[in-house]
Amino acid sequence: MKKNNIEWTKTGIDRRHFLKGASTVALSTAAVGMPQFANAAGNVLKTRSYADIRSMDPAFSQGVVDEEIQGAIYNKLIQFKPGSEWGWQLDAAASIEQVDDTHINFALRDDMGFTNGFGAMTAEDVKYSFERIIDEKLESTNKPDMSALDHVEVTGERTGTIVLKNAFQPLWSITLPYITGNIISKKAFEQAGGKIETKPVASSGPYMHKSWEPKQKTTLVPNPDWKGEAAAFDEIQIFHIDDEKAAEIAYEAGQLDFTRVSLGSVERLKANLPANSTLAEFPSLFYVWVGMNLDNPKLKNIKLRQAIQAAIDVPSIMAASYFGAAEPSTGIIAPGLSGHRDQSLTGIEANLEKAKKLMAESGESNVSLKISVLNKSVNVTTAQIIQANLAAIGVTVEVDLHEGATFWGLGEDKTLELVLNRYSMTPDPYYATSWFITEQAGVWNWERFANAEFDKIHKDAQSESDLVKRDAMYQRAQDLMEESGAYKFITHEATPNVYRNTIVPALRPDGMPLYRYFKKD
Amino acid sequence: MIGYIFKRLGLAAIITVLAVTLLFLIIHMIPGDPITTMLGPRATPELRAALEERMGLDKPLPIQIVLFFTNMLRGDLGTDVFSGRAVTAIVFGQLPYTLALIFVSITWAAILGITLGCYSAVNRNSLGDRLAGILSVSVIAVPAFVVSLYSLLLFAVKLKWFPAIGAGEPGNLPDQFWHLVLPSLAIGLSWVGYIARLVRASMLEVLGEGHIRTARAFGLPKSWITYKYALRLAILPTVTVIGVGMGFLLSAAVFTEIVFSRPGLGKLVIDSITTRNYPVVMGSVLFSTLIFVASTTLADIINALLDPRTRKGS
Repeated sequence: MKKNNIEWTKTGIDRRHFLKGASTVALSTAAVGMPQFANAAGNVLKTRSYADIRSMDPAFSQGVVDEEIQGAIYNKLIQFKPGSEWGWQLDAAASIEQVDDTHINFALRDDMGFTNGFGAMTAEDVKYSFERIIDEKLESTNKPDMSALDHVEVTGERTGTIVLKNAFQPLWSITLPYITGNIISKKAFEQAGGKIETKPVASSGPYMHKSWEPKQKTTLVPNPDWKGEAAAFDEIQIFHIDDEKAAEIAYEAGQLDFTRVSLGSVERLKANLPANSTLAEFPSLFYVWVGMNLDNPKLKNIKLRQAIQAAIDVPSIMAASYFGAAEPSTGIIAPGLSGHRDQSLTGIEANLEKAKKLMAESGESNVSLKISVLNKSVNVTTAQIIQANLAAIGVTVEVDLHEGATFWGLGEDKTLELVLNRYSMTPDPYYATSWFITEQAGVWNWERFANAEFDKIHKDAQSESDLVKRDAMYQRAQDLMEESGAYKFITHEATPNVYRNTIVPALRPDGMPLYRYFKKD
Repeated sequence: MIGYIFKRLGLAAIITVLAVTLLFLIIHMIPGDPITTMLGPRATPELRAALEERMGLDKPLPIQIVLFFTNMLRGDLGTDVFSGRAVTAIVFGQLPYTLALIFVSITWAAILGITLGCYSAVNRNSLGDRLAGILSVSVIAVPAFVVSLYSLLLFAVKLKWFPAIGAGEPGNLPDQFWHLVLPSLAIGLSWVGYIARLVRASMLEVLGEGHIRTARAFGLPKSWITYKYALRLAILPTVTVIGVGMGFLLSAAVFTEIVFSRPGLGKLVIDSITTRNYPVVMGSVLFSTLIFVASTTLADIINALLDPRTRKGS
């Protein structure tokens, strides 16, 4: 994947600005006698996650927030490589090799161990960590990512073989380098009763868990038993701040060194970046689209659906809802991943002439539709633009707002009409297509899209080892989605991060932090 | 007086049970699937069924209510479905932050408001009284969220005097107090004006009464009359308003906790309602109700202590 993150840097202030600033600060401080909160300094990294943690057990953690911490305190056989291209690097594994479609041999490094006296990391720990996730009794919510695992064979104290039931390409992009790949201490977990909640019982990474203050922050400190490259910070404080604007204020107040910012703030920050800061924009993996429920009688007419596809003007949405900080998408698979399409079938800009022609061919008139939207400002603006776009072809749209819990239950609603939706994604196309198979209709496939060819592609592409062929298969899958008339793809959004120039962040290509690799400048 | 206190406590218990039952019904009536929200997209039907059973959602609503109260009497409010932690532990972990915020806010607001109110009443129609009046009405008109945002931008971002987020290091009292300054300013400011106006009006009424005129005729010192006799009576409506105002303070605390990224009961309620985390919603709602009922009951008891006519009337 080509490097496509963009950076704006504001270096330290020059002498003139320093004198001006220093005199202002000195005067104001002297005049009022108040202490000043300096920028987060010293050897403490202050950063932010967008939610509170849910679990420190890899079998039950839910997504990025938990993994940001687990990635720093646990080791995996392989880890995501920081940078602008998706890839992995060795972590706890000294070597790892796929010997055939279903067998992966690994050897652990001999300097890996667990804190709290739980000893060296062995192949038994790897076996325990992976097999417990597919254990029916544990009821792990992350079982699908480990679904291809049959068992792990221990061949030596530090060597073993991962045996799969079938070839599974996402093993290298999701299973091993993401949540399910975290290796935990068998002894520690067994002593804790087989599963843990929010307090890790043993760490093995460069950092270890110091404390968790619910709804406030998690603190990590260096693991004294860590034998790898020394941890760069004496402490990492991860503040759990839901609101992006609050996080931006905290950054500007000097209380954070690294945070994701809202897309709406990108222009403002580019124009007026806080001192000694860098703003870096990364392409995101999320995908946003307008879906049409194929089972709803109002949307049975494919010409009407195609007219809607043609009438929606994505560039207008990019400008108004995303403030020009995101790019239009061509499907559900983001640039840089296998299966990404360079162009969509229905185009990005509205084609009113074509849309009107399709409307006329559909024979529909006085069409009135409801678009269901999660109540967030970006979604509301997008829905309003779609409302205006469709009004131009004679379709009246009512915007139906829902709060989170109500919105995420809409899949079961057979009367759903249009929906503006957004799903998260992991760096493998299998994850994206899994929600749109026939089996998922009414669950996460809200369009109730049912296509035998699509289902077959989803099943076969998981195990396709020829990457060119796999790429073509996923491209075809997205063509099928679009040809059904049930989808208009909008964007993958973007991840803008702002950070102090005193740190060197290590980020995945989608801008998500890998704290264990963060360094000081 | 003891009889009066028992009567008030009984009433408080009935109000609590009714309010919690009502809130229980409302929460379960609003649309939204807690299981989907909690488990996310990866959940299997078996897992969904297991969680539904664990949360007691497979039982009829009346049974769920009875079970809630039965368990509550045993001190068991259930467990958070996400983290598996006891709801009581979660609520007690957050409660001190909200109580501290409310207590500090109302304390400084009451001290300043009562002082301003007394000054205005004693110096009626003076320049100071007029200024205090303008100031009081001005701060009443400014909503807490505006004060929050502007105080953040000025004192945290621009001047960097106070922290913008968090509640301070656990065990470090000065640091925790430092983190309370801006949030309590945001919540308390409008109360300064409100209390000042209320005290002024009550004081003027009391200062015009016969026993005050008699005290003046006897030549008692002005300060003695004002603070010993007049303020004691004039403060009664203020105590009642502060007691009832706890509900408003809790509402203001929700927003303030979000803006300042502070932990607290308000934020806990919002987060748990959004995710339909029923056990945590009920636990936090129960404690919010208890705070409200306890503060109004306490206000009634203080009123009765200060003015015996109140308890005779009831």
